[in-house]
Amino acid sequence: MSYPAALQEIIEFFELLPEPERRENLIHYSDAAASCVRKEGQVFDLEDVRKDEECTDTVGVFLHVDEAGAARFAIELGPKVQTLTKAMTAILCRGLNGSTPEEVLAVPADFVPRIVGADLVRLRSQTVYYVLSRMKTAVKMLLDRRRAQAADASDRNTSLPAA
Amino acid sequence: MNPKFAEYSQPDVLVDTEWLAANLDTPGIRIVESNEDLLLYDVGHIPGAVHIDWRRDLNDQTTRDYVGPEAFAELCRRNGITPDTTVIFYGDKSNWWACYAFWVFQLFGHTKAKVLDGGRDKWEAEGRPLTRATPKPEPVDYPVPAQRDDASHRAYFQQTLEHMRAGGRMVDVRSPKEYSGEMTHMPEYPQEGVLRGGHIPGARSCPWARAAKEDKTFKTRAELEAIYAGELGLKTDDDIIAYCRIGERSSHTWFVLKYLLGYQKVRNYDGSWTEWGNMVRTPIEKSI
Repeated sequence: MSYPAALQEIIEFFELLPEPERRENLIHYSDAAASCVRKEGQVFDLEDVRKDEECTDTVGVFLHVDEAGAARFAIELGPKVQTLTKAMTAILCRGLNGSTPEEVLAVPADFVPRIVGADLVRLRSQTVYYVLSRMKTAVKMLLDRRRAQAADASDRNTSLPAA
Repeated sequence: MNPKFAEYSQPDVLVDTEWLAANLDTPGIRIVESNEDLLLYDVGHIPGAVHIDWRRDLNDQTTRDYVGPEAFAELCRRNGITPDTTVIFYGDKSNWWACYAFWVFQLFGHTKAKVLDGGRDKWEAEGRPLTRATPKPEPVDYPVPAQRDDASHRAYFQQTLEHMRAGGRMVDVRSPKEYSGEMTHMPEYPQEGVLRGGHIPGARSCPWARAAKEDKTFKTRAELEAIYAGELGLKTDDDIIAYCRIGERSSHTWFVLKYLLGYQKVRNYDGSWTEWGNMVRTPIEKSI
């Protein structure tokens, strides 16, 4: 299975790390999650902010897909979100920004243990998968919305009376 | 001493943040952080604190059980803990995992143990120092305990089943919706592999959080007595079993009943709902 190039690079980097350095780098990424938030002046096509019943805090996913088809995410996390989830947020923003919506939807979740290590994927740390699922949901919502808009526009054009 | 502590059955089982801040370098103390958030210790911890990971350090890696005496002694040795060391536990989630680690230490008879009232949340809220510097304790000797004393502190499935049949007192410390069977996961958590919702027949619902204040400290003795003696009708010589999903929230209640209120026989059923709820031919009750 191939991943977007930036994500592939991160996976390969983590896979080579011994456990202490893996943890250290995860901490660096968790610190970097704060920079994944929306920046002033940025415009997004879709905003999905919610606190799911199975999550400890609110997660906001903001998505813009430009004319060239490149996706750009911003993600905002509530303060109670676990450190590992923060780290995964920064990893996914870096690894998936610039990918096409189709590439994001095709990313399998099996890379998670390769980054965080088998020891940290366990009971009470399953939220590491959550952010990826929310990003995919945002992409799917945006694609569905654009398809509906395109269909509406097409309907309007075909129903116009002949000149 | 904190005047609130003086009211408890065992006042010296708690320390407050003020005391700990003044005693960070006191010889004979080892501060231990135990969290649910696996990387929280790495992000910053109380100066001098070591990290004990409930899954890696306290659980056996191949059997659903706790470590044995050899592994416990080794854990203590590498963390600079001798039998004479006073271990002070604290952690996230209102001290769930701190109480869990404290409980495991009691299985091995390490009674020089205390809990930081309010845990990590209170320490942070008060703006007290955190560091990323990891202490490197000198290896020390910790004799291998003769045995793990499960009988005094822990209830197995079969014992809990017999307890239920005998009409023994049981406290279900999960959330009301888990107790009723409406939810098979804990609020704010994903599903953890439970097949059925409900509770052990005869168990009374008393969510763990009722014992904690907003700032994560324990409620006063009078407030706790109103809940456990007043509402649940528990008597100090009752044989009581507490349970949740995997034994961490019930460690919190076990600690409250045994040390703060002085109940004489309290056991933690660590198999809890992830065992009982899934066990073939085991009865449950629902209240929805």
